[in-house]
Amino acid sequence: MTWWRNLLRHPLRSALAVAGITVTTAMLLDMVLLGGGLERSFERLLLGRGYQIRVSPSGTLPFDTETTIPGAAALRLGLEADPEVTGVAPVLGASVFARAGDTLVAVFAYGIDPEVQAIYQPLSGSDLAAGDSLGVLLSAPAAARLGMAPGDTLVLVGRLDPQLATAAIERRLVVRGVARLLYDSRGQLSLVALLPVVQSLAGLREEDRVSAFVVRARSDDQADAVTARLRSAHPGIEVNSVTDMVRHFRERLVYFRQLSYILGSISLVVTVLLVTTLMTITVNERLGEIATLRAIGVSRATVVRSVMLEGATLTVVGGGLGIVLGLATARYLDAILTTFPGLPAAISFFVPEPDRLLLAGVVLFLAGVGAGVYPAIIAARAPIADTLRAEAT
Amino acid sequence: MSPQPGEIALRAIELRKDYPMNGETVHALRGVSLEVRRGEYVAIVGPSGSGKSTLLQLLGGLDEPSAGSVLVDGVALAGLDDRTLTRLRLTRLGFVFQRFHLLPVLTAIENVELPLSEAGVSRAERRARALELLGYVGLAERAAHRATQLSGGEMQRVAIARALANRPAVILADEPTGELDAATGRSMLELFRRLNQDGTTLVVITHDEHLAAEAGRVVHMLDGRIAVGRQG
Ligand SMILES: Nc1ncnc2c1ncn2[C@@H]1O[C@H](COP(=O)(O)OP(=O)(O)OP(=O)(O)O)[C@@H](O)[C@H]1O
Ligand SMILES: [Mg+2]
Repeated sequence: MTWWRNLLRHPLRSALAVAGITVTTAMLLDMVLLGGGLERSFERLLLGRGYQIRVSPSGTLPFDTETTIPGAAALRLGLEADPEVTGVAPVLGASVFARAGDTLVAVFAYGIDPEVQAIYQPLSGSDLAAGDSLGVLLSAPAAARLGMAPGDTLVLVGRLDPQLATAAIERRLVVRGVARLLYDSRGQLSLVALLPVVQSLAGLREEDRVSAFVVRARSDDQADAVTARLRSAHPGIEVNSVTDMVRHFRERLVYFRQLSYILGSISLVVTVLLVTTLMTITVNERLGEIATLRAIGVSRATVVRSVMLEGATLTVVGGGLGIVLGLATARYLDAILTTFPGLPAAISFFVPEPDRLLLAGVVLFLAGVGAGVYPAIIAARAPIADTLRAEAT
Repeated sequence: MSPQPGEIALRAIELRKDYPMNGETVHALRGVSLEVRRGEYVAIVGPSGSGKSTLLQLLGGLDEPSAGSVLVDGVALAGLDDRTLTRLRLTRLGFVFQRFHLLPVLTAIENVELPLSEAGVSRAERRARALELLGYVGLAERAAHRATQLSGGEMQRVAIARALANRPAVILADEPTGELDAATGRSMLELFRRLNQDGTTLVVITHDEHLAAEAGRVVHMLDGRIAVGRQG
């Protein structure tokens, strides 16, 4: 019954220790979240609509370069020929211009097939219908920038003629709705139209070019086998499963992850040192009391338990606050980091998965208990007679 | 089967205690033998440095003698492991210190409950026993006061109640009136007398002639030995 009152004996000191533990815990948590966050949110993004395989120009990953694949229709048929493939979605990405008054605004256009698409979710208005070659969807930033709503007419301009500085090709499309583009970075101006429409605007219609195909296998278990089959059947293109891509991604991030683990470990060590230092000071201050307790028959076990409880309480209180602070700072940092140009807005650096939080909590609790060991040993070993004599003088 | 009055509660046989000091040896005790019978009231007096506190610490199992042995209720302390020895201090011995040594974060009653709780007495039972003991030492109305809010005399009374908590065979007190003024010391004498009349075995170190005069027997220590034993 004494351990928590002992903590309140020096309220300021305990509060400072708790504050220190809060900060180091927040840092530990952020590092743990950062360690796996990017990878997880990347995987989630890629698998978001259930398409497990990506097909891209040879030697590239989808949308890594501006290279395109010709003969899309034939290739699509070839990919669909695999019995385990249940969907093949072509995507072409190209830069176009939209007329806004008498200025031209650069917009990124996605050409897709509405019957199989894996790159957007409709937000308002209506979706593109199959064969709707007059319709267009806008990303929310594009709709805001162009001041357009469903029903408005949008004039798109394809490649500019370098000699005449006039549009080589122009299309009038009707805005059907607003959509969330999964791979867009924050604030990106983009639109979605039928593949042939975007191909025409980009001058890629004759060769029927696309940037990538997004392929769905019947089941997740089959994805790797299907990938291997498609790869050998179509040697001229790059075929990757999402698992492969996450692995590539992870390889690129390996140093990043190691760094976050190292920093996380450092903050854990700081927590342990903080608790150990405070508890050692506290125990040394109270050696007289501890010797008295031992003299009147309080066991070593009780003394040890009380010291460890005190350390663990500091850690649990500081750790609890630290988890709250850590989640708040993770959100804040995430908001800053995801504004990096070119990074899909759906990517998160910090993903607070329950098992990660639990891991941080357990590690921290063990650290708190461990931090009490040394001071508890001091308390248990205090020589009773000598300590009492020293107290009396 | 509890020991009968007249039986030996505490026995010291040829106790020696040497302390190493800057390469030399301080002989704090040079062969002390003592028997305290159940129900007895023994005062230990002697000049400063004569070994009184050292003797009491050995009798109470707080330190180990360099030679000789101590028996509490017939149990030899030598060779007991720390757990058993601690348990024996908890249940068979009561300590009263010159500077009280109460836990400042606890109230009076919680200080008295502490050895009861360590001994595994249930919450309700220890509350009742602690209140009864505080009543016995005349401090029932101070039960809820923090130790730090009490006067010296009151703290010493709480310490005595704490020492009595587990009904010890012997109470060992090292200068219990040393920090108290004369009047408060006087009332402490009465409390000790009453304790002894109610059957508690007492071994009290004191410089206080009045307190020594109360005892049934006064043991004089000089230079690590018992100088004169006087039966009262
Ligand atoms: N831990 C120790 N180390 C070295 N010498 C010690 C130690 N404890 C006691 N002594 C010495 O042993 C002798 C006896 O000390 P003790 O405290 O028993 O005397 P005392 O009779 O209680 O004196 P006082 O009346 O002043 O309390 C003293 O000379 C003291 O200096
Ligand atoms: Mg002394």
